[in-house]
Amino acid sequence: MAASLSGLLKPWIPRVFLVRWSRYNPYYLEPEVRKEVYSQPDSELSVEEKEQRDLKMIRPIKAATSGVTSSVFSDPVLSKFINMMMEHGNKVLAREIMTETLENIKRKQVEKYHKAPEGQKEEVECNPYTIFHQALKNCQPVVGLASIRKGGRNYQVPIPLSDKRRRFLAMKWLITECRDNKHRRTHMYEKLSQEVMLAFVQEGNIIRKKNELHKMAESNRAYAHYRWW
Amino acid sequence: TSGCGQQQEAVAVESELEPFSVFRTQESDPACQSEKHLGQFYTLPPAHFRPLFPHGLPYRYQQQVKTFNEACFMVRSPALEVISYLKKADYSKPALRYLFYGLKGSGKTMSLCHAVHFCYTQGWLVLHIPDAHLWVKNCKELLPSSFNSARLDQPLQATTWLRNFRTTNERFLSQIKTTHRYAWTKREFTDEGRPLGELVNQGISRVKSSSDVVGALMKELRLQSGQPGAGFRLAVAVDGVNALWGRSTIKKENKSAVDLEELTLIHNLRKLVKNDWVRRTLVLTTVTAWSPTQLTGFDSMDPFIPVSVPNYSEKEFESVYLYYLDRKWLQHPQSRTEDGKKELVFLSNRNPSMLDRICGFL
Repeated sequence: MAASLSGLLKPWIPRVFLVRWSRYNPYYLEPEVRKEVYSQPDSELSVEEKEQRDLKMIRPIKAATSGVTSSVFSDPVLSKFINMMMEHGNKVLAREIMTETLENIKRKQVEKYHKAPEGQKEEVECNPYTIFHQALKNCQPVVGLASIRKGGRNYQVPIPLSDKRRRFLAMKWLITECRDNKHRRTHMYEKLSQEVMLAFVQEGNIIRKKNELHKMAESNRAYAHYRWW
Repeated sequence: TSGCGQQQEAVAVESELEPFSVFRTQESDPACQSEKHLGQFYTLPPAHFRPLFPHGLPYRYQQQVKTFNEACFMVRSPALEVISYLKKADYSKPALRYLFYGLKGSGKTMSLCHAVHFCYTQGWLVLHIPDAHLWVKNCKELLPSSFNSARLDQPLQATTWLRNFRTTNERFLSQIKTTHRYAWTKREFTDEGRPLGELVNQGISRVKSSSDVVGALMKELRLQSGQPGAGFRLAVAVDGVNALWGRSTIKKENKSAVDLEELTLIHNLRKLVKNDWVRRTLVLTTVTAWSPTQLTGFDSMDPFIPVSVPNYSEKEFESVYLYYLDRKWLQHPQSRTEDGKKELVFLSNRNPSMLDRICGFL
């Protein structure tokens, strides 16, 4: 009994201190990663921005995650997609797959560009970033369905989706489509690049899934008034 | 030299294409390239590309050739230096050996291929072994040699190499004749005086004796190119030559490691690389050596002329940057700004292969 009591009296000190996902005191401010903010001269700043800057000199700042960079080539949408693709915390592999996908898309398009006759060269889009962003935009659904319980029955009710939810759904569909419905022996970057190219021209399984969702929402229009928010 | 004269007339035309020719040059003959072409890209004529390089180019460069629809080499100082030595060398003395050494990804294989292109345009017979490391590891089939029972054969590697050799050196195959009689099995043999093409075809069709065919080929070429009456000069290019004296990962069926001396291909290559013959040159590369003295097999390679292959200089980096912009390879809008360029320099440290990988996804 004495042993257990003394065990309880010992203060518990955690071995590993998690900093980022701990609940920071609201006192802490977000870090500023962009380089151009620091090179602005005083004259350009308005009064509020000057106050913000003075505040940052006094208050403590949260630690920056390892995913944000001050590189000119960083893209928040791409970072989010890489995080969604990541499994077991293997960010290196996820980033590798992403860069290989972009390279694959670019290679195919540049090859097409160089083989195209003079008149059609401008129509070939070579930038893998614009292709990826456009494909994601094409995959985003406009309305979603929510299951609402009314009078003992569950109805699929069309609801508006927030921007974040739409982006999330597009990325999630892209990743699950590539993981599940493709031949097992192809590499992930090949599968991804094929799906992205199809989504860019409004073809492919993901666009089909989005259109089916829209049709379901359209057919369930009558129940729209069941939504109370 | 007559080709160079024609190129000088083309200089007048070049000045009209000012923005085009800062990083490109029209001089596609390596013999006519000089220091003023340093850092510029020259295009390999498509007719030369297929026979010259069925093997030997790095995989990423082959992909690049396919994507851009053209094969462009950069004129760099190590390759230019070796080409100038090749032009001035005295061929009555024993063979000279040149060694490209440098960090990983600094362009040794590409410099070797540039030198090989020069040898090809001069009409020499080119013996190009793409990567000696591939012969020393991951061997799927090992046969006991029919010629010497202590040694082991590698039929697959030997046949692929013979096929590529045939593509590169078509015109010599009918000119050169064998000087010995070779018996491959009890019933198959190649007589004296038969053209070399027959020897090569024998090796390709009869896979079992292909390693011995490779050995016989090397012996023939070694004997014949030394004679003053022979109509050709031999250039041997071995990529990754430190594999010939390093370790091998091949195992025999009883799981014991294979000594490199026991492999027929390696044995014959080592004999070829010794410099006890005349009227030939050897151009070789190694992989990832800080200094030539660190090589395994330095004793057998000594004496040789080491040529260091550094990372890109500032001028060469500018040239590669402009080339990628011209070929629409750098697509990210930020990569065209000054900041983006500085970031590329920082991320790649001007290492050619790192720059290639980074620009791949930008």
